[in-house]
Amino acid sequence: MRRRGALFAALSVLAAVALPACAPSTDGGSGDDKVNLTVLSWRPEDTTGYQKIFAEYQKSHPNVRIDFKGIKATDYLAVLPNEVKKAQGGPDVVQLKPYGPIQSLIQGGDLVPLDGKVDVSGWPAETLDAAKGRQDGKLYGVPFALQTIQVLYNKKIFADQQINPPTTWEELVAACDKLKKAGITPMATSGLQPWVLAIAHQIFGATRYGAADFSAAAVSGKKTFTDPDYLASLEVVKQLQPYFPDDVTAVDYPDAQALFTSGKAAMYPGGSYELGPFEKTSPDLDIGFFEAPPAPGSKVDHPVTSGWVDGSYGISAKSPHQAEALELVKWMATKEFGQQFADQLRQISAVPGTTPSDPTLAQMLKNYQDHGVPYMMLVSFGYGNPLGRDVEGTALQKMLNGDASASEAGKEIQKGIRAWFKPGSGG
Amino acid sequence: MVQARQRRLTAGSRGAFVGRPGKPGRSRRPGHPARPGRLGTPRRRLLLALLLPGLTLYTLFIVYPLVSALQYSLFRWSGTRQSGFAGLANFGDLFTRYPLSEQVWRALEHNVLFFVGTMLVQNTAGLTFAVLLHRSRRGKRFLQTVFTLPHMVSPIVVGYLWSAMLNPQFGVVNATFRAVGLDALAQPWRGDPNLALPVAICVNAWQWIGFPMLLFGAALAGIPEEYHEAARCDGASAWHTFRRVTLPLLTPAIGIVSVLTFVGNFNVLDLIYSLEGSQGNPAGATDVLGLLFYRTAYQNPDANAIGQSSALAVCMFVLIFGTALAASRVFRRMEDRLK
Repeated sequence: MRRRGALFAALSVLAAVALPACAPSTDGGSGDDKVNLTVLSWRPEDTTGYQKIFAEYQKSHPNVRIDFKGIKATDYLAVLPNEVKKAQGGPDVVQLKPYGPIQSLIQGGDLVPLDGKVDVSGWPAETLDAAKGRQDGKLYGVPFALQTIQVLYNKKIFADQQINPPTTWEELVAACDKLKKAGITPMATSGLQPWVLAIAHQIFGATRYGAADFSAAAVSGKKTFTDPDYLASLEVVKQLQPYFPDDVTAVDYPDAQALFTSGKAAMYPGGSYELGPFEKTSPDLDIGFFEAPPAPGSKVDHPVTSGWVDGSYGISAKSPHQAEALELVKWMATKEFGQQFADQLRQISAVPGTTPSDPTLAQMLKNYQDHGVPYMMLVSFGYGNPLGRDVEGTALQKMLNGDASASEAGKEIQKGIRAWFKPGSGG
Repeated sequence: MVQARQRRLTAGSRGAFVGRPGKPGRSRRPGHPARPGRLGTPRRRLLLALLLPGLTLYTLFIVYPLVSALQYSLFRWSGTRQSGFAGLANFGDLFTRYPLSEQVWRALEHNVLFFVGTMLVQNTAGLTFAVLLHRSRRGKRFLQTVFTLPHMVSPIVVGYLWSAMLNPQFGVVNATFRAVGLDALAQPWRGDPNLALPVAICVNAWQWIGFPMLLFGAALAGIPEEYHEAARCDGASAWHTFRRVTLPLLTPAIGIVSVLTFVGNFNVLDLIYSLEGSQGNPAGATDVLGLLFYRTAYQNPDANAIGQSSALAVCMFVLIFGTALAASRVFRRMEDRLK
C-alpha cells in the first residue's frame, strides 16, 4: 500500500510538471466571437502608437481585435523563426526584416505569397524588392518604413560657432577644423560597431565610389570591391578619423549617440531612425541635417541621400485567420495606414504618396525621392554570409586601427562578398 | 547556465573536500547487505518511481535538445524546413567554406587564449587570496563575501558595467589615469585588437575570482595542520612547505577548478557579447565559439543556418565534453597517486 502511494506521488509530481507544457493555448479566451490577430514586431517602443493606429482599423472592422506584441530588436531574429513555427498561438501578421533575413523564412514556407492579393500598383520596384523572395521573385510582405541616412548636426553648436551646413568638401573640413579648435568633437560615430562604420562609409563615400552606378556594376560583376574608386571611398572615412572621437574604435554605438545628444559632438552621420530616440533623450536638442558633400575625386558630382526599406508586414503561413490577416495587411498598403504610421510613429512610411508630419523627416524623404541611391551593402549585398555591411565595417575597423591599408581592406571585402555572391545572378 | 552549474558544483564539492582526509572509501553500513541480481524487486520499483520525475525532466530538457541538435546537424535546411539528409556536409562547411572556415579556427584560438589567460589570472590570484585568507584571522568572512559578490551578478550586467567604466569618453578608468597624470595608460581598452581579449579575460576573472578562492579555501581547511608542522620540523621553508605539501594536497581542488573553468570559458558568450557585441569586435579580435554559434544561428542569412550552427554546436559539445572528461581522468589519476 505504501509503495503504491509512493508511485502515485511520483507520478503526480511528474504530471504536475509535464501537463501544463502540453496544454493547448486558448485563442484569446475572451468569450466573444471576435477574431484575435497578433502582430509581432521588433519595436516594442511603438506599442502605444500602434494601439492608436489599430484602434482606427478596429472601428471599421469590428470583428477583429489586434494585439500588438513587441519583442526586443536584438532578439527578434532569433525569436521569429520559432514563433512562425508554432502550431498554435503563433502570430498572424509579422514584421519582416528586409532583403537577406526574410529569405530563410520564405524558403522554409513560413510566409504567404501576397502577389495579386494586395494592391501595390504604383509602388517603386526597389521598395518591393525588400520583401521579395530572391529565388521565386514573389512578394511576401508590404513594406512599412523607409530609412534615409545623412549627416545630422546640432543647430545650436553650429550657430554658436558661426558655421553653416557645408555644401562642399572644403567647407566640411573647415567646419570640422573650427569645431576641433573650439574643443568640440566634430563628429560622433562608433568605430566599435562595424554596421555603424559601414553607414558612415555610405554617407561620406557613396559619391566617391559612384553610388548607384557602381553598385549596379558590382552586382553585374563588371566591377569588384578592389576597384580604385571604391578603395578611395574607404580612404575618405579614414581621412575623417581626426574628426571622430578619440579612440573611435573603442566608442560604442550608444556612446556615439550620447556624445551627440549631450552636445559634446556637433555632427552625427546617421539615419532618419535616430531622430525619435534622440528627441526622447534630449527634447531640447535642435537637430538639423545636411547631405554629405562629395569628397574630392568623386564619381558623382552632387550630394546623394542613401536609403533602404526598413521592413515589411507579412502573413504567417500557420495563422488560423488567413482571411482576417490578409485584410489587415491589405490595409497596411493603403495611404490611410501609411499616413497614420508616419504621424503616430514619427517615421517615413513606405506607402507612396504619404508625407511625414515631421518637417525634418519630410525633407529627408524629399531628398531621397529626388536624388536617392540604394544603401548598396544592405540592398544588394545583404543576402549571404558574411553580410556586406559587416565585412565592410570590419575592414574599416582595421583601417581605423592602422592594421590595414585601403587596398588590403578592399581585398578582404571582395573575398567576403565573393564567398556567396555570384555576379550577374544577384546571389 | 554555466554559472549555475559552477555554483551548484561549488556547493557540492566544498563539503566533499572538507570531509575528505581520513574518511574511508565507500563502505556499506552493516545490516544492509547488497542484494545483487534481484531485479524487479519492490524496492527497485520504488527507486525507479522516485527517479522517474527527475529522469523525465532531464531527458526532456537535456538529452532531447542534445540529440535533436545532432539530428539537425545531419540535415540540410531551407530556412526552418529540413530539405534532405546531408550526412557530414554541414561539418564540412564549417571547415571548408569561407568565412566559417577562418572564423572557426580564429574563435577556437581565442577560446584557448581566454582559458589560458583565465587560468593564469583568475585561478592563480584565487589561490593566492585563498592562502592569504586561510592564514588571516580578521576580516576573513567579510573578504570572502566581497570577493564572491560579483558572482551574484549576471555576466551581461558585468559586461555592460565594465563597458561603461572602460569607455574612452565617459569611463572612470581612463578618467582616473588622466587625473593622476598617467595619460599614457589611458587606452582604448575595448577598441584595440591587442587589448580587447586581455581586457575580457580580466573582467571575467574579476567576476569569477571568488569561485576558485572558495574552493581552494575549503580544500586548504581540509589539510591537517600536522603536515605543515612536520615539514617545518624538517626545516622546510614556507615556500617549500607550500610547494611540496600544500600544493600537491590541493590537486583535487585544482582539478575541479580547472575543469569547470575550461567548461565555462569554452561556453562563454554573454560576457563577450555585452563587452564587444555579437561580432566579437574590434575586427573579430574577441570572437569566440559561443559568439560564432550565435551569429551562425541567428544572424546568418544563409538558408542552411540551422544546419551549420547545429554542426558547430555538436563540435563544441564534443570538444568540451571530451576534454573535460579526459582532464577529469588525468586529475583523478593524480589524486590516486596522492593516496
